[in-house]
Amino acid sequence: MSTEKRKVVRFELLMDAGFGAQKIGDILIQAMAKTGRYVYIEPMIPAEISPPPRTRAALSGVIIRVGDFDITNIGNNTDVILAAHEIVLDRRLDDEEHNPHCHILLDIGEKKNNEESYEQVCKRVTKLGLNLYPFEITSEASLLVKSLGGKGKNMFYMGMLGCIYNASVDAIINEIKLTFGKKLEESVLEKNIQIFRYGYQFAKENITLSYEIEPTAKSDTEKILIDGNSALAMGIVDAGIKLISGYPITPATSILHTLARTLPSYGGLVHQAEDEIAAIGTAIGAYFGGVPSITCTSGPGLSLKQEFIGYATAAEVPLILVDVQRSGPSTGMATKTEQSDLGAVIFGCHGDNTKVVVSVANVIDCFYAPQFARYLAEKLRLPVFIMSDFQTANSYKVIKKLQVNEMENVDDIKDFVLERFHMNRLPDQIEMVRTSQDAPGTPGGMRRVTGLNTDASGQVNYFAGANQRSHTIRNEKVHIVRRALTAPERFGLEQGEILVVGWGSTRGAIEEAVDMCINQKLPVGGMHFRVVYPLPLMLKEIFSKYKHVVTVEAAYGDSYKPSPLATLLRAETLVDVRPMISRATGRPIRPRIILEKTKEILNGHSN
Amino acid sequence: MATQIDVMPSNDPFTMKDLNTEHPRWCVGCGDFGIIMGLKRFMVEKQIQPHMTVNVSGIGCSGRAPFYFNTYGIHAIHGRAITVALGLALTRPDLNIFIHSGDGDAMSIGGNHLLHGINKNFNCVFIMYDNELYSLTKGQTSPTTRKGHPTQTQPLGTMLDPLNPISFVLGAGASFAARTADWMPDHLTSTLKAAFDHKGFSFVHVSQRCPHFDPENFDHKTTNWFSFIIHEKGIPADKRVAEKVEVITHDPSNKEEAFKLANRKHAYFGLFYHDPQKPCYDELLRRQVKEAKPKPRSGILDSFKI
Repeated sequence: MSTEKRKVVRFELLMDAGFGAQKIGDILIQAMAKTGRYVYIEPMIPAEISPPPRTRAALSGVIIRVGDFDITNIGNNTDVILAAHEIVLDRRLDDEEHNPHCHILLDIGEKKNNEESYEQVCKRVTKLGLNLYPFEITSEASLLVKSLGGKGKNMFYMGMLGCIYNASVDAIINEIKLTFGKKLEESVLEKNIQIFRYGYQFAKENITLSYEIEPTAKSDTEKILIDGNSALAMGIVDAGIKLISGYPITPATSILHTLARTLPSYGGLVHQAEDEIAAIGTAIGAYFGGVPSITCTSGPGLSLKQEFIGYATAAEVPLILVDVQRSGPSTGMATKTEQSDLGAVIFGCHGDNTKVVVSVANVIDCFYAPQFARYLAEKLRLPVFIMSDFQTANSYKVIKKLQVNEMENVDDIKDFVLERFHMNRLPDQIEMVRTSQDAPGTPGGMRRVTGLNTDASGQVNYFAGANQRSHTIRNEKVHIVRRALTAPERFGLEQGEILVVGWGSTRGAIEEAVDMCINQKLPVGGMHFRVVYPLPLMLKEIFSKYKHVVTVEAAYGDSYKPSPLATLLRAETLVDVRPMISRATGRPIRPRIILEKTKEILNGHSN
Repeated sequence: MATQIDVMPSNDPFTMKDLNTEHPRWCVGCGDFGIIMGLKRFMVEKQIQPHMTVNVSGIGCSGRAPFYFNTYGIHAIHGRAITVALGLALTRPDLNIFIHSGDGDAMSIGGNHLLHGINKNFNCVFIMYDNELYSLTKGQTSPTTRKGHPTQTQPLGTMLDPLNPISFVLGAGASFAARTADWMPDHLTSTLKAAFDHKGFSFVHVSQRCPHFDPENFDHKTTNWFSFIIHEKGIPADKRVAEKVEVITHDPSNKEEAFKLANRKHAYFGLFYHDPQKPCYDELLRRQVKEAKPKPRSGILDSFKI
């Protein structure tokens, strides 16, 4: 068996929900990260808790990307798929994320009872020109699985994958012990480790695939493995926020879970409200009392919160709101990613409304966004959004340990945090609609806030000039941010044929795609927004340096209706920005698709 | 409600005048005047510090109440005052919180929050201004409008039986449920005092006249349609009216009897129910913080180390 050296690989494990595929993914990547590889993992999570096994709805698994360079996204197509049975494989093939020579390891242990179904799927695999490796769990391993009540197949699969990707056996066993050591009885743990060894041995003797990724990651720096929502939760602690108020909703809920276990130790409260509206109301109440607070939600919750968002704008109460986007409209697909909330966030409230919208591109942004959002919210006394999405929220990555800032007052915000979000420090004094902004408890500062229009004294005022004045001041707060914004992050050429633009979670794919373009000597640049609203002032000038400006968005768009970012950019710049990729498939956008589409435009085939 | 009162910034006690702001924009004869007068009288009597007090409201005629107190105030959105007040109660236990909410605000659009405010039993005085009608929107049926009463939206007469506020809150597990009326200042102030002294969610149902849209309702000149319920642990009858009205004794720890009284056609004013032992969510949540092992923020990423 010869080992093929690779810079980067991508493989997946597909199983029924509830059989531990994601746990295996975690163990594998931790072992690989500890031995000097860069890793990125995306779980595939069904929307239901226990969908019936051996159905398409039961698909639960992990996609793992391992490389010898810092990986920013889940990448392109899969090289190796290991599937526990034919149905989850069939379901996954529909997503068309396998590469043309993908190797498929299919467990045929259940074939006897499902002969026809297996035949059909195997035919599909052959027809697609993919390489099929049918296998069965060895009898020794099967006996152990039986003794564990049917659990433990995942260990066998991990053994196989560990062998194929030349992961260190010791490192994996060490991770198994760290993960299960405290939870499982000694004998059960031993059995699991034994099943893993059987899997490893089986692959060594029977599977001809073997890949090696050079261990290049420095091992002397402290590293952490963290997902987007955990990073956001810890960022909330670091930002000095003392109350999180939320209502369970996928995919935002895990922020609440993490903080419920941790925030009290840092002096903060975690409140589960009776509904989405109550959750935001309570955050507003706390901030009116001078206590930094935050609320987190996803699409349906965002819709419910709109009235209070407008209220916070009008009443000038600081508000930080996290929107972990999922597929819409309505309930849509709760466990799939999308970037379609942009319009609802920027323009969602009734009346003219002013706010700042910050997006996160990766787990590092997730950690620093709460500090940045708190800075904006308190300086401007406006709603500030942190826009994440299912993909960013749930993907894990190994990164260098981040600097913890322990924010107390917003004026202490670190320059590197502002730079990360491409904004200069805001002026010390920012005009408010009301002159007095004291918090309760301040003697002599008594004041009433309201959603009604008021004058500078805070008195309700319906006179002609008063409402226009309030609008002007609120909008000027946003313009102050607009003027403080520096040029967004750029990739590739600073002028050329095509500028590829995106926001939020598409950053990694855009960066990688532009790199590929540059390697192929294509005249392409890339741009990514972290602050999505307002937009900086120099965009038109940057856009003028390219023949085409196109967007990449995980949101719907077509030739009549540009996708949300394209619409916004067109309106703000009057440049003919077109959606190059506007896919609302629920799946992350792949760098290679960006490359292909870019080439099509360069060759004059589209747009 | 809160019992902590901050030290006064000056040595002079404040007076009714200090609590006034602008002249209220309510109709002549509106019961809301009586309610805010009652609360102001109580605040002055007890010297509840204005800078440590937050009046919170939703939308409707009652929603304007916070504007007319020189305290801190939040005029929030329709039906959601409880949610905002909770944010203060959780994070600022040093403050005195009064919630002002109408019958539509409390029992229609805000019904869910009332249910959960009661269940959470967080520390506040909740004053329900019940004129049995939507008035700021010019006379539509509310959840407490009497059956048959014609309104703008149900001109042939309100179709359904009204909700019964006291019965509803008792059913939801209220720790304090009392009823009073805008035209009995003595009783109103005594009720607010009892409500303030109770730690938890104190529900005060106030019958409130709306002379503009429903002048016939709440005939405060006759007295045969209501009685006072009194007890040594309850609220005394109104001094001015007591002689003309039936006064009965009711033990406020007797919930079964409270339900019976609440469900009668005849009206009762006084303390229906009081349970000083019901746990308060705001306290429980803060206790979790107190009892959690404090950790330095510098270590927040340590558990993610590989």
